[in-house]
Amino acid sequence: MGPLIPLNVIDPSWNNVIALIVGIAFGFILESSGFSSSRKLAGVFYGYDFVVLKVFFTAAITAAVGLYYFEYLGWVDMSFVYINPTYVSSAIVGGVIMGLGFIMGGYCPGTSYCAAAIGKIDAIVFSTAMLVGILIFSEFYPLLESFYNANFIGNITVFETLGMTAGWFLLILIVIALGAFYVTSIIQEKVKKVDYYILLK
Amino acid sequence: MKEELFISGREIPNIDPYLHIWHWQIPIYLFLGGLAAGILFFAGLYTILGKEKEMQATVKWAPFIVPFALVLGLFMLFLDLKHKLYFWQLYTTIRLESPMGWGAWVLMIITPISLVWCASYIREVFPKWDWKFEFLRKFELWVIDNRKIVAWPMVIYAVILGIYTGILLSAFNARPLWNTAILGPLFLVSGMSTGVATIMWISKSHEERKILGRIDLLLIAIELFFITHMIMGALAGSQVMIQAAQLFLGGEFTVSFWAFVIVLGLIFPAILEILELYGYKIPIAITSFLILLGGLIFRFIMVEAGQLTRYLY
Amino acid sequence: MDNSKKYWNPYFGGVMLGLLLLLTMFITGRGLGASGAAKSTVVTAVDVVAPAHAEKSAYYSKFLSDDKNPMNEWLVFEVIGILAGALLSGALSGRLKFVVEHSPKITSKTRLIMAALGGLAFGLGSQFARGCTSGAALSGMATLALAGFITMMAIFGTAYVFAYFFRKFWI
Repeated sequence: MGPLIPLNVIDPSWNNVIALIVGIAFGFILESSGFSSSRKLAGVFYGYDFVVLKVFFTAAITAAVGLYYFEYLGWVDMSFVYINPTYVSSAIVGGVIMGLGFIMGGYCPGTSYCAAAIGKIDAIVFSTAMLVGILIFSEFYPLLESFYNANFIGNITVFETLGMTAGWFLLILIVIALGAFYVTSIIQEKVKKVDYYILLK
Repeated sequence: MKEELFISGREIPNIDPYLHIWHWQIPIYLFLGGLAAGILFFAGLYTILGKEKEMQATVKWAPFIVPFALVLGLFMLFLDLKHKLYFWQLYTTIRLESPMGWGAWVLMIITPISLVWCASYIREVFPKWDWKFEFLRKFELWVIDNRKIVAWPMVIYAVILGIYTGILLSAFNARPLWNTAILGPLFLVSGMSTGVATIMWISKSHEERKILGRIDLLLIAIELFFITHMIMGALAGSQVMIQAAQLFLGGEFTVSFWAFVIVLGLIFPAILEILELYGYKIPIAITSFLILLGGLIFRFIMVEAGQLTRYLY
Repeated sequence: MDNSKKYWNPYFGGVMLGLLLLLTMFITGRGLGASGAAKSTVVTAVDVVAPAHAEKSAYYSKFLSDDKNPMNEWLVFEVIGILAGALLSGALSGRLKFVVEHSPKITSKTRLIMAALGGLAFGLGSQFARGCTSGAALSGMATLALAGFITMMAIFGTAYVFAYFFRKFWI
């Protein structure tokens, strides 16, 4: 029966209305979790605040477990769910550049929109500069094209690559996550607190 | 033209009425008309209620927008006319069944009233203003003393103007989507809501904004109720009416209508207004802007969608 | 004074985000995203300013079609929603304020320059990786896509490696 729109259970003309409502919820959750503060986000790299890791990991696992459980129940046809294509070299280089962007700018695109919406001027600058970055990529695309499309290994999942079932992989992922939550909570206790809230008052 | 080849009379060029004749000017005109009606209604209402002191922006400042809105709106209407030089014939051809004629006459009456209203306050805005002629000074003093006498016809004509912006559409019964009597009240309420949003934007008094916020919430609730009934009514109608409603329920206008009018233009600003009533700090510009934008897009959609619907297929 | 109570518990936030992501995938078959909307904006802007250039370009032309405005995209609507939702949350917890958030060790100007550089890099990188932290990493991980894990590890790995050099901007 699912996913509902690709299988025409809901008419595709509603797609963007749903997008708006999903976006409102997305923005609300991100902002409420503290993702609109660059110094809170950056805390994950210096050990004073692990909110990024906690929220990010919990969300990915919740969604992944739910999705594959839905598949098990027959509620979702995974062949209609978009699995991101894996272009190995492009994905790694993109990730490295974004990692640099993250540590310099303190936001990622989604969180910069959240922060911009509540008036963070640095976030407005960040999201504007992002447009320039995209423009540069697009203009140099003819040079980058072969690299962009290199090492394509299909729209595959990580458990297929590792040769195990989704269930086992999820179990391992949950164990890793719980371990990470435990270790980071110890680290956070020891690292000196950084009071990034002061600026807001 | 080879008449012997015709299979059906419908193939004769231009035998079907050409329905898509209104462009961007008309929705802007309807928006400005509704906005003006909303502002004048509340300016008159609070004068009659004797609350000029508490509702400064409503009674004094916002009405200054109205003459500009009306003139700009009329200019839009003028741009839309095919034979521009014959516009005056709207005034020489009196036909009770013509909504265009009604509109022209309503505007003919309410524009001078709004000008008089603004003129009576102009010396509070520009203290050095001088009326030059003695009879103008006397007239101004008379209006200042008898504002309630001016306010009554202003309120009444504001309501007529607001309803008229909707009736202008529903009078065209060749378009199924428009062929419903609910458009009059719907456009009236929507116009009032945009008017209140404008006043709130201008107002500096917290108390005044609170009163206006409550009114606007009520207006938005009524508007949502009317829109629901417009769609329900269409769905309960004949096949062409159902097809008209389908434009909003899984058709060309689904996204623009639900995303920009219902969610961002009505429900979201309503939530912001509720929060503000509960004491949260909300930048009023965002609320007002969303309501105004929603109202404008609503009129664009209604005019566009209405011209797509027809009885002949 | 501890204002941190005003933020949600991160695990609660994570579960809510996960459920939203699940619901989104259940309805639309795709996850969340953010950088795609910026790409649509760039494509639209280039198409308006230099339509001939946009049509000729191998990259822009992928996202242009005759019968559809490039802004009429799922992610564009989602980002409009993000702005509205974040505004709502910010208003509810009294965080609406124009401010440049930065470490006391640097000036606002430095912070803005770093933000611009970061944004530039993120824009560039998100095109290589075919999505950003939301679209590639988070949504990719939720579907257990290999690309999601690679991108996620590359982003956070790099950030950790370089964190030392940028510490004065944050702590």
